[in-house]
Amino acid sequence: MTALPNANPDAKPRRTWRKNAMMPSVPTIALFILPAFVLYTVFMVYPLVQALIFSTFEFNGLVRGDFVGLQNFQQLFSRYPLNEQLPRAFGHNVAFFLGTMAIQNTAGLLFAVLLHKPRLGKRFFRTVFTMPYLISPIVVGYLWRLMLNPLFGPINNTLKSIGLSDLAKPWLGDPATALPTVILVNAWMWVGFPMLLFGAGLAGIEEDLREAARIDGASNWGIFQHIEFPLLTPVIGIVTVLTFIGNFNAFGVVWSLAGVDGPPAGATDVLGLVFYRTAFDGGSDAFGLASALAVLMFLFIFTVSVGVQTWFRRLEDRMQ
Amino acid sequence: MSTANPSQNRSFHLPRISFASVGSNGMLIIYAIIVLLPLFIVVTNTMRPTREIYRVPVALPASINFDSYVIAWNEADFSTYFMNSLVITLSSVVLGTSVSALAAYILGRYNFPGGRILSSFFVAGLTLPFRLAIVPLFLLLNSLGLIDNRLGLILVYAATGIPFSVFILSSFFRQLPQELTEAARIDGAQEFTIFGRVMLPLVRPALATVAIFQFVPLWNDFFFPLVLLRSTDKWTLPVGMTRFFGEFQTDWSTLFAGLVITTLPLIILFLSATEQIITGLTAGVRK
Amino acid sequence: MKSRTRFAATSLLAVLLLALVGSLALAQDEVTLTVWSWRTEDEDAYNEIFDVYEAANPGVTVEFVPFVATDYNNILATGLTGEGGPDVAQLRAYGGVQALIEAGQLLPLDGEVDLSGFTDAILKGATGREDGHVYGVPFGVQALGAFYNVGIFEELGLSEPETWDEFIAALDTIAGAGYIAIGNPALDSWMLPILHDAVAAPRYGGPEFEAAVLAGETDFTDENYVASIAVLQDLQPYLPPDVTGVAYNDARTLFISGLSPIFIGGSFEIGFWKSEAPDIEVGMFMVPPPPDSLTGPLVPSWMDGSYGVNALTEHPEEAKALVEWMGSVEFGQMFTDKINQLSPVAGTEPTDPLLAEFATAMMENPAAYMLLVDFRYGDPTGTNILGPEIQRLFLGETTPEEIADALQTGIAQWFTPAEAE
Repeated sequence: MTALPNANPDAKPRRTWRKNAMMPSVPTIALFILPAFVLYTVFMVYPLVQALIFSTFEFNGLVRGDFVGLQNFQQLFSRYPLNEQLPRAFGHNVAFFLGTMAIQNTAGLLFAVLLHKPRLGKRFFRTVFTMPYLISPIVVGYLWRLMLNPLFGPINNTLKSIGLSDLAKPWLGDPATALPTVILVNAWMWVGFPMLLFGAGLAGIEEDLREAARIDGASNWGIFQHIEFPLLTPVIGIVTVLTFIGNFNAFGVVWSLAGVDGPPAGATDVLGLVFYRTAFDGGSDAFGLASALAVLMFLFIFTVSVGVQTWFRRLEDRMQ
Repeated sequence: MSTANPSQNRSFHLPRISFASVGSNGMLIIYAIIVLLPLFIVVTNTMRPTREIYRVPVALPASINFDSYVIAWNEADFSTYFMNSLVITLSSVVLGTSVSALAAYILGRYNFPGGRILSSFFVAGLTLPFRLAIVPLFLLLNSLGLIDNRLGLILVYAATGIPFSVFILSSFFRQLPQELTEAARIDGAQEFTIFGRVMLPLVRPALATVAIFQFVPLWNDFFFPLVLLRSTDKWTLPVGMTRFFGEFQTDWSTLFAGLVITTLPLIILFLSATEQIITGLTAGVRK
Repeated sequence: MKSRTRFAATSLLAVLLLALVGSLALAQDEVTLTVWSWRTEDEDAYNEIFDVYEAANPGVTVEFVPFVATDYNNILATGLTGEGGPDVAQLRAYGGVQALIEAGQLLPLDGEVDLSGFTDAILKGATGREDGHVYGVPFGVQALGAFYNVGIFEELGLSEPETWDEFIAALDTIAGAGYIAIGNPALDSWMLPILHDAVAAPRYGGPEFEAAVLAGETDFTDENYVASIAVLQDLQPYLPPDVTGVAYNDARTLFISGLSPIFIGGSFEIGFWKSEAPDIEVGMFMVPPPPDSLTGPLVPSWMDGSYGVNALTEHPEEAKALVEWMGSVEFGQMFTDKINQLSPVAGTEPTDPLLAEFATAMMENPAAYMLLVDFRYGDPTGTNILGPEIQRLFLGETTPEEIADALQTGIAQWFTPAEAE
């Protein structure tokens, strides 16, 4: 839906109208921006800045001790086994992101394309595919643990009963399949999100364009490849950024599906879990350490998402 | 089947059912089953005693009964939690969306000095690990006397919705055709009038989207109320649900019933809102 | 002369006491004490228990508020920091309570309340490591052992094994009959150090080894400790297939649905067996010492937690009175009766026969679950390292030697043996 208004392919290049537009006065700008600015600054930015400050102090529980400079940061990379868990978890987050882009967002796009055409049960499918997103992540994790259970889970039972015993894997218990399984379950939960975004993007594309292409003899695939997909670029940008942020902050589903230390043997460990363990399951100095980790995560996620966003915006501009 | 065809039966006799359309329908149906099966287990398990669920985790209930719903609603005080959830979530979403729409309008429509930086500043909040801020946030609310206060939670929730809402809404506003504003401006309309009369109605689908996507995680969140609220009479539905999670023993039957009670309003809301979004979109585009 | 002084002192004390009691009585006008806990499943039991206290202490209302266990530490840490916190809070034991103590968020209780019902070993779990004061009144003790399904054992003609050979023979018989011999999980890593200690504590020598490590005479790379980890490899064929995919709840399902007759775990499971599988007769035995063990059978145990007083409470006297009562036989007996766990209070008797068996076994074969009792005082904790490492062992990714090295490396970062101090 984000892309929708831009759907109009002969929309004017943005840059020019902005320059021509009459600028409202400074007090007007302030009046519009201030409410959000104040609320956001007080209740989100201020606590973050506090955390940043906290990361340079020693902590005893929640009581602040001496200023220790970068010692907490240094501890993150020297304390065993944290120093081994962090890079491993980072790698898993990267895989999580790439896997989600490849599976969840591709499926979301596919569903959006299929459900864009008038079709029986369109509304039903659209609602059903979005439903898992409405359920609390804790319960999603529990349910899929049950479904994937190697001993009495319905999935392996079904595979065995149709003669596919070889495929009946200990999904969450094997390091080779555990992370892909987590990615799939996470995609199960979230696929409605890109589907709706892409769906709105497709709805915004003028039907005339498709008609014209069809008259020129383009196939459905051709229309998708040469008309729809390029026009979806802004939505793809938004979906990519949100997926990146969501994946690198992933916690709820992984925690409830796999466990707090990313079993088996850390095969599903992600940064969100490392942060949780450091903050709430660590020693007396946990708070300073966790703040340091949070600061690093924030800086990384922020920098990359701004970068990705800028890149996509340039791409859009170039296309128009 | 690829045309909107009310008489489904006819299509079976059509020789031109394409392989692709059978394939795509098959795929949609299979995926719908993959989605619904686990949800079906949730619903069936509300009708089975917890003892049985522990013993045979997946099975059909012996009888259709709604005892666990009654227990969840009455004993666990879900009626109180329900009202709290409703008040807290609605207020947060309305507050968060309103202030975001105002800011997003200016940030999306105008290029002014510092505008880019302000945009990044707002969007930066998206990248915050949700749980990170909890301790400083707690200390802040504590110093403001807003612990165990629904208003405190509403303010926090509204603030957490701002980054996403500004992110989405400003890109909407950015892409609205410029002639609209110019026409309004020639009429001598003030900025607020343009915003309220011309722009806001045009981004209504976006507002609905943003509101929904704020609503769902807030409605399901138990972490912030657990830490920021104290009295049980202020608790929300998800917090109430955590009471069924024991250290070693979980009351699955009641928990699942609680889950259904919690999720049903979301599904209804979503059902009505998706249609609103979709029709709003299509109507808005084909002017 | 002497007696007169003593008389004067006594009467002065009596007057002071009276005044104190008087002021207490005044203050006690309608006091509500909030008690926080991580035991949501015990809500009814605690409400009944506190009803007894309220009846004996008019004017005091005790409100029991349980929170979800996984987020409790966080809730408590913030709750003790600001307003609206509890008066009395359930506290984790040993290393788990140190942060709150060091932050000064709890009132010291030694010298303030009667703790005579507890041994020093029990009180250690509620004692500040830095200052040596006691900050909580212990409420529970857990012990490790093997649960078995009596019905299946009878059906297979088995009895409680007393030697390792008998144990293995029994496991072979059970597996031969188509059951999963030991239905333990390995997906949830916290159950793995429990399995290790319940099975192999005699192999490394239990309390003697513990003392030696604490004194710096040996460490975890000791060959006996390495051999104790290797015992788990010997047992792996009897665990469920793909054990690293079996979750804690799945494992308990295996036991109560009769798919597996043995579950090795803690006495805290008894309440679960009773409420979810009342038709199954459950027995317990100590896992016999593995070959080359340094001791006889051992029942590792630990103090599970305590109740302490929030330093910011508005009712410190009433709160102390309440926790003092929680150290009484009256409370302890109700605790073990209603919650089906062992009470640490001297003079309490578990009424549940299975629990009583655990109590006897624990008394006769005492040992500490040492990774929890001694090695949770720093980061990383012993159990946090050992759990995932045993998962790797089951997956064939590591060896007992490497695990011992990892454990030693992790703990050495914060643990200094007494000798070196």
